[in-house]
Amino acid sequence: MTIQTMFQMLGEGFFVSLQIFAFTLLGALPLGIPVALLRMSRFKIVRGITRFYISIMRGTPLMLQMFAIYFAPYYVFGIQLTPNSKWQATIVAFIINYAAYFAEIYRSGLQSIPRGQYEAAEVLGYSRLQTFVYIVLPQVVKRIMPAIGNEVITLVKDTSLAFAIGVGEMFSTAKALVASQVSMIPFAIAAAIYWVFNFLVEVTLGRIEKKLDYYHD
Amino acid sequence: MSVVSIQDARKAFGGTEVLRGITLEVPRGEVVAIIGPSGGGKSTLLRCMTLLERLDGGSLSYGEVIAAEQGADGRTHYAKPDVLKQARGCFGLVFQNYNLFPHYTVLKNIMDAPLRVQKRPRAEVEAQARELIAKMGLAGCEDKVPCQLSGGQQQRVSIARALALNPEVLFFDEPTSALDPELTGEVLRVIKALAAEQMTMVVVTHEMGFAREVADRVVFMDGGVIVEEGPAAQVIDTPREQRTREFLARMDG
Repeated sequence: MTIQTMFQMLGEGFFVSLQIFAFTLLGALPLGIPVALLRMSRFKIVRGITRFYISIMRGTPLMLQMFAIYFAPYYVFGIQLTPNSKWQATIVAFIINYAAYFAEIYRSGLQSIPRGQYEAAEVLGYSRLQTFVYIVLPQVVKRIMPAIGNEVITLVKDTSLAFAIGVGEMFSTAKALVASQVSMIPFAIAAAIYWVFNFLVEVTLGRIEKKLDYYHD
Repeated sequence: MSVVSIQDARKAFGGTEVLRGITLEVPRGEVVAIIGPSGGGKSTLLRCMTLLERLDGGSLSYGEVIAAEQGADGRTHYAKPDVLKQARGCFGLVFQNYNLFPHYTVLKNIMDAPLRVQKRPRAEVEAQARELIAKMGLAGCEDKVPCQLSGGQQQRVSIARALALNPEVLFFDEPTSALDPELTGEVLRVIKALAAEQMTMVVVTHEMGFAREVADRVVFMDGGVIVEEGPAAQVIDTPREQRTREFLARMDG
């Protein structure tokens, strides 16, 4: 098999990895906001439940979470699994796992905004929603960009975990090729593709940070 | 009718009584300076008058707008949110550490609340904002962000931001305490110019010279009560109370 063919097959696998990556960000980035707010709720019980959810998500392997979400519908509710179930379970597991991490990053950002900002907005007559959307959130975004960047880059590599459940992303393809071709080259190519993509992610994040660099506080 | 009136204000944090029956009425056009040692309750009084803290007892009103009333149970009951919103429209507050919005330009810091909160037309708000910028000696700073300004400039922006909402009364919480002595003067000059225009103001300050010169009335607070009040010259030059004399002597020393 030529290197070119390997490239092509790995490229197809990477397209699946990219989908996991994109769907996870689309779901987890917004979902993290309500989770962070619940985590800071006035009500102890709400805080407690959210804390427990975050603890489970961070304290157990994402791989096991994928399996749990894949098998739960069948064992708990008796729902018949379909060929699509693996893919759906993967996306759901990734989203709720990453939402927990993002929520903690949002919380750190929210708690770092000085109380004076809220007081100034209150005295000026902003509603609570206006204060959050126009005053607090833009400042939070700037402060958490480096931490979010870390998670986004980790996510690119974590997509390879979908291999365990049998979703044919790039790492599965690479492993199959290594076995069939008796060569380590597919792994090297896969590593290069992950790195090149993450390099692009870094460049993009750098640009966003630069754009937010018009002020400091 | 007073622009702002607080009657028998009481407030405790935990078991500590910080305000023990304060009554203060400010008629239109008056400049009141509140002086006194740290921990005497000055800042808490100001925070209660600007609705940042809630009174335990007493009442608070702005002109006709009653923000809080003392009930038959002796405790303060606050008005509904829409009344409090109306009350907030009556006053402005200038903080010790400015609390400008760091991600907004000077112009946007001044224009944002009139646009979003008061929903006034942009052209009118911008005209007023530019006028205020000129008046505060900030010409050329319109498109800068707060971190590019000196402390004195930032404090003048925050005064402009408060004025842009056309308040009936302006509160200042130690407006120059975070500033170098050389920057203090420029902020005090601006406040003096506002006094000359008959702006109603309540200023918590440690600047005795400024209080003496600009304030119509000086209120000396200590231990959660008003120990002495009267015309600025009288309270500062010839205080009647022993505690006032001791405080002023320490300030001079």
